[in-house]
Amino acid sequence: MVQRFLDPAVLGQLNSLDLVAKTVVDGFISGLHRSPDFGFSQEFAEYRSYNPGDDLRHVDWNVFARTERMYLKRYRGETNCQVNVLLDTSGSMKFASKGMQKLDYAKFLAASVLYLAHLQRDAAGLIVFDEEVRHFVQPSTRQGQLHRLLHGVAEAEPGKRTNLTRPFAHLMDFLRRRGMVAVISDFWEAPEKVIEMVSPLRYRGNEVVLFHLLDPEEIRPKLKHPVMLEDLETGEMMEVTPDYAAHEYRDKMTAHLADIDSRAKGAGMDYFLVDTSRPLDAALREYLALRTGRL
Amino acid sequence: MGFLTPWFLAGVVGVGLPIWLHLLKRHKSDPKPFPSLMFFERREQSSVVHRRLDHILLFILRTAMLILLALLFANPFINRATPKAAGKKLVVVAVDDSFSMRAFASGTSGESRLDKAKREALDIISGIPATTAAEVVALGGTVEAMTQQTNDPAELRGAVAAIKPSDSRASFGELARFTRTLAESSKMPIEVHLVSDLQKSALPPGFTDLRLAGDTTLILHPVGGEIPNWTVENVKAPTHVYDPKRVRIQATVAGFGTPAAKRNVSLVLNGHQVQSKPVDVPAGADGAPGRAQVEFDELAASYGPNRCEIKIDSADALPGDDSFQFSVERGDPKKILFIDNGRGNGKLYYQTALDSSTDAAFALDVQRPETAATMSLAGYALVVLNNLGPLPPGLEENLERYVNPGKSLLIVLGPASVAMTKVPVEGDPILPASSYAARETERFLTVGDIDSGHPVMKGLERLDGVSFYQAVRVDPSKDAHVLAKLNDQTPLLLERQIGQGKVLVFTSTLDNISNDLPVHGAYWVPFVLQSATYLGGGGAEQPVNVAVDSYVELRTGESKNAAAEVLDQDGKRALSLEEATNAKTYQLTREGFFDVKTASGQQSLIAAHADRRESDLGVIPQETLDLWKGTGAGGAGSDGSGGNGEQKTTPWSLSPILLLLLLLVALAESVVANGYLRAPAER
Repeated sequence: MVQRFLDPAVLGQLNSLDLVAKTVVDGFISGLHRSPDFGFSQEFAEYRSYNPGDDLRHVDWNVFARTERMYLKRYRGETNCQVNVLLDTSGSMKFASKGMQKLDYAKFLAASVLYLAHLQRDAAGLIVFDEEVRHFVQPSTRQGQLHRLLHGVAEAEPGKRTNLTRPFAHLMDFLRRRGMVAVISDFWEAPEKVIEMVSPLRYRGNEVVLFHLLDPEEIRPKLKHPVMLEDLETGEMMEVTPDYAAHEYRDKMTAHLADIDSRAKGAGMDYFLVDTSRPLDAALREYLALRTGRL
Repeated sequence: MGFLTPWFLAGVVGVGLPIWLHLLKRHKSDPKPFPSLMFFERREQSSVVHRRLDHILLFILRTAMLILLALLFANPFINRATPKAAGKKLVVVAVDDSFSMRAFASGTSGESRLDKAKREALDIISGIPATTAAEVVALGGTVEAMTQQTNDPAELRGAVAAIKPSDSRASFGELARFTRTLAESSKMPIEVHLVSDLQKSALPPGFTDLRLAGDTTLILHPVGGEIPNWTVENVKAPTHVYDPKRVRIQATVAGFGTPAAKRNVSLVLNGHQVQSKPVDVPAGADGAPGRAQVEFDELAASYGPNRCEIKIDSADALPGDDSFQFSVERGDPKKILFIDNGRGNGKLYYQTALDSSTDAAFALDVQRPETAATMSLAGYALVVLNNLGPLPPGLEENLERYVNPGKSLLIVLGPASVAMTKVPVEGDPILPASSYAARETERFLTVGDIDSGHPVMKGLERLDGVSFYQAVRVDPSKDAHVLAKLNDQTPLLLERQIGQGKVLVFTSTLDNISNDLPVHGAYWVPFVLQSATYLGGGGAEQPVNVAVDSYVELRTGESKNAAAEVLDQDGKRALSLEEATNAKTYQLTREGFFDVKTASGQQSLIAAHADRRESDLGVIPQETLDLWKGTGAGGAGSDGSGGNGEQKTTPWSLSPILLLLLLLVALAESVVANGYLRAPAER
């Protein structure tokens, strides 16, 4: 089957974030329909007898036509699933080696996940953070929720340094129900510290998915001659040689990624490395395939 | 040390450019943003150290390059002391051998000025130190080196003894030019001893021509002073005589610095005095000579060339200028063949113009073209074709045989000629669209361009007032010389060399139908006579009475078939065999009669006489001589002693060294910069 994935650069040319999300997810969903085994979180669970006061919109009229009894369709996620997206907007997220910033890619990814949740009628929420919580949208299924979420994503601007402690503490305050938490960040922090900060979310039965967003230049920097590098978060400067970047840095980076992966899995979290040079829908599809396989 | 153009040193400010590039701009290199330096370590990289070293070397080279460039433009020099040729000098002994040096020296009995000058020159040579090089030159119209530069007194004395009296006119300007050239080539001080009568007439027109080189010392040795002198200054006589009774010879007798006196003037013909007349020569006034004229009205010359002479009995110090030789040739009137078909009045007008001449004598023989085609043309000095149509068979070939050896042809084109496609013999095409305009239109052309220097057109000005109604349009070839053009650029008169001969083409008629030239006597008669004389001579009219040092023409064009010949006044052959076949001219260096036969066969007796300015024995004023000596002193106050062993400073340019340095630095800069650019890629 020939897949035509969406180039991030093409998505970057679309002005509207909801259009980006729809473009990504609708194509993705159409793919899902051809594969009935695929599913996200909210799945059909059972029929329940109609009680006065129930919303008539959920009555399964086909069943009523056959049996003259009123049943309501119930979904698994409808009652107990929340989807929260934590979007990192620290200074390091504005890095771009070829045109598109990591933050823009992260925004597309967040919008796509939120749109997908909206389609599944999950209560979706958003936290935009750097070292502080910059924007917060409480999870809800209310009308206009998607608009609020996408607006929050679109307004996100690169900030300062990364601090996962504050947003997670904030999230713990209003996290009442079990659900899924997607963290989109470049995780420029020691792996043990990242896992240490994220682990409390797991205690309440939440599924935690870590989207580790990295530019290919961060994973395999290619320098032609010695250059002066400037840290986007701290402003620190350092002269770096191509030789170091080609060998020692790559070794350290590989070890870092392996470490964070193993620690995340050890803590019962889903970890998924997203390369910003890859098409967004392809990345999402790959993630879901992995998730399904695990389930 | 100094700078010839110090303002260029301001270019050193350009050094700021590498300073900015290397020292200031380096710190402004843009850092590359990176998300996190978490996995990088701070350490000093050796490659960076090398790069900085490269920078420093490059900076030094670039700075040096700019400084050298500025210095190069500023043209620095240093003053180097050079010994003034270590006391060396070159002595030039110049002996004037001009015509005036034939005069008797004052205070001597029968010794000429030249003999005295040679004696003086020998005295000078005996005073020259053995280590000093010297050269002897003879000064006439040109400077003739009698020796190379030598230390041998015997050779120098021999050279002085070899100097013979000449008939040339001295030129001190030539001597000055010679010494300037010598100073430039010898690079040492020159001491010039001029032994001369210091004639005023030998000065060049401009004093700057007398300028001597910087280290030249002029020492004058005057021989002979200002003495009175009578001379036959000029003779005007016809070169050709046809009737002995119709000859007019006019002689001018002049006295330079002489009192009023009566002189007896004689006409000598072939060595025999034939007439004698007394003349009163007045005293000169205001520096001008006294002049008187004598006329002789008869010359019983025999057929052929005659050696004539005007003599005076002056008994002065310069007997050489008491006679003036000239040559006269007596002959029959020259025959002109006028080929005409009887149309128009061209013959009438042409004949009338020839008859009106007193000097030139031409006899006109009129023939029809058919007759001319078969007759021999050898006896004719000139053939005229008047307004002929297509020529009868044989005529053109006959004419070509006539012209090629050196004879001439005058072709007059008219209405009948339009039927031809080309000018006969001459060969230029007659344009088919030749608009031989009708006179009824009452429009006419005038002469636009004219070659007034040509013998045929001399004195004709621009033929003002002459109207040309009709002219045949001829397309002149490249080697045709257009002597006159109408104002619509139609050639009116053109000349072309055919073999050794000449063809003159007149594109309008000789009558007053196509133009009104024949009724303008002031132009018509000179035009006909001059063209007949020019063409009838079979070549350029050779002047037969010329000044010494003039050139006579021996051949025209590239023809080497025939040999020329010159017999000098002693009857000896003056040309070598090679010169006889190749030489184009011959210079008459002595007075007397020269029998010249040109390559075209024309034979003439040419009389050469000394330039009569040599007869003025007035000397140059002392102040002029002082000024002249001052030009070569190499600075005020120099007495021309030559200076022995003095130090002389000369500016020595450093530019070649700087240029070499700049080249080396630029090369090094290229190598270092190239290595610097390549290094990152290799690393």
